[in-house]
Amino acid sequence: MIDQHEDPRFEQWLKDAAKSYHTPLPTPREKMWARITAERQRRHVIEIRPWMRWALAAAAVLVIGIGIGRWTAHQPAAVNAPVVASADNARSDVAYQVAAQQYLARTEVLLTDFRAQSGRGQLDPQFIAAARDLLTTTRLMLDSPAANDPRLQPLLEDLELVLAQISQLPRESGRKNEMDLINQGLNQRSVLTRLRTASPAIPAGSTPVRTQGVS
Amino acid sequence: MDDTQLIARVRAGDSAAERALYDAHVDRVYRLAFRLAGDDTLAQDFTQETFIRAFDRLGSFRGDAAFSTWLHAITTSVVLNGLRKVKRFRQREADIDDAHGIGVTRRDAEPDLKVRLKKAVDELPEGYRTVFVMHDVEGYTHEEIGVALGVETGTSKAQLSRARAKLRVALSDFAREWVT
Repeated sequence: MIDQHEDPRFEQWLKDAAKSYHTPLPTPREKMWARITAERQRRHVIEIRPWMRWALAAAAVLVIGIGIGRWTAHQPAAVNAPVVASADNARSDVAYQVAAQQYLARTEVLLTDFRAQSGRGQLDPQFIAAARDLLTTTRLMLDSPAANDPRLQPLLEDLELVLAQISQLPRESGRKNEMDLINQGLNQRSVLTRLRTASPAIPAGSTPVRTQGVS
Repeated sequence: MDDTQLIARVRAGDSAAERALYDAHVDRVYRLAFRLAGDDTLAQDFTQETFIRAFDRLGSFRGDAAFSTWLHAITTSVVLNGLRKVKRFRQREADIDDAHGIGVTRRDAEPDLKVRLKKAVDELPEGYRTVFVMHDVEGYTHEEIGVALGVETGTSKAQLSRARAKLRVALSDFAREWVT
């Protein structure tokens, strides 16, 4: 609703007077441009791609899962121990399952991407950082009950080796040969094929986790 | 080269086009940021953040509105959110000052129009003040303000009217200046 007592003389006077309100200084365009470019470069370096976020999230869930697993393993038996233990184990299994599924999916994406990038002989530095993150997760997986699965353990060991190799790739020279060697290893050990079929083999004993949609 | 051509080149990775786009719009963005913030350092921070976001999100700019309108929507969002944070921080500091009995003495009878006007505008509700600054001080149209703030044009007009009404009361000591 517009005010009924508008006064054009006041409005004009106000507009003129208001020119003095927070009078801007000359635009420091060069200074700001330098800051903008520097900040964009900085953010670009630490930008986390969506699949890297998932990898980090998987690592975080895994750590929580391991924590729950270890904590529940060290709890003293109680009067109603069977019921409590059963509930805790179920929660722990679900945490492992979610973490492991996410981890395997992200590793598959990374290794598939690695093949594509190595074919071009170029590897993004962020890619190596992501491989390091996944290497850490792999080692956590090897230290968790997930490694007791006889089908998963050899795969995790192969993945640890591959990810360690990728993590240590030289930044510039000699990269192509090393990438070819890693690819040979991936092929000889059928790592990607085993990775793609591994998800159903992940620890059983818990309700399947529904991640999206409603049937 | 117009904005559409520059944007196409920026999307193609042309850094010179980024600079050209920045040069074409930085003055108005900085002016608006300064008018709303009243502080050079904050205005620079807000301008910087506005362009970083704009370049990062340029892929989502569909061209439904003018680039300047889209950019000023980012500017107002950055500035208003930034000012809310600053206000919360300063409020905490003021609370501490009050607790120590060293609060600033108010001078309601300030004779200087510039000072009184600043105080009156600063005390307007955020929405009123933003519309007043954009329209009466920086010359934006109600349509531009509506898009930038995500409100109807009528809302912008109503807020400006209410802002002026409040300022008229706050500055009534100076009435003889506009009635003569």
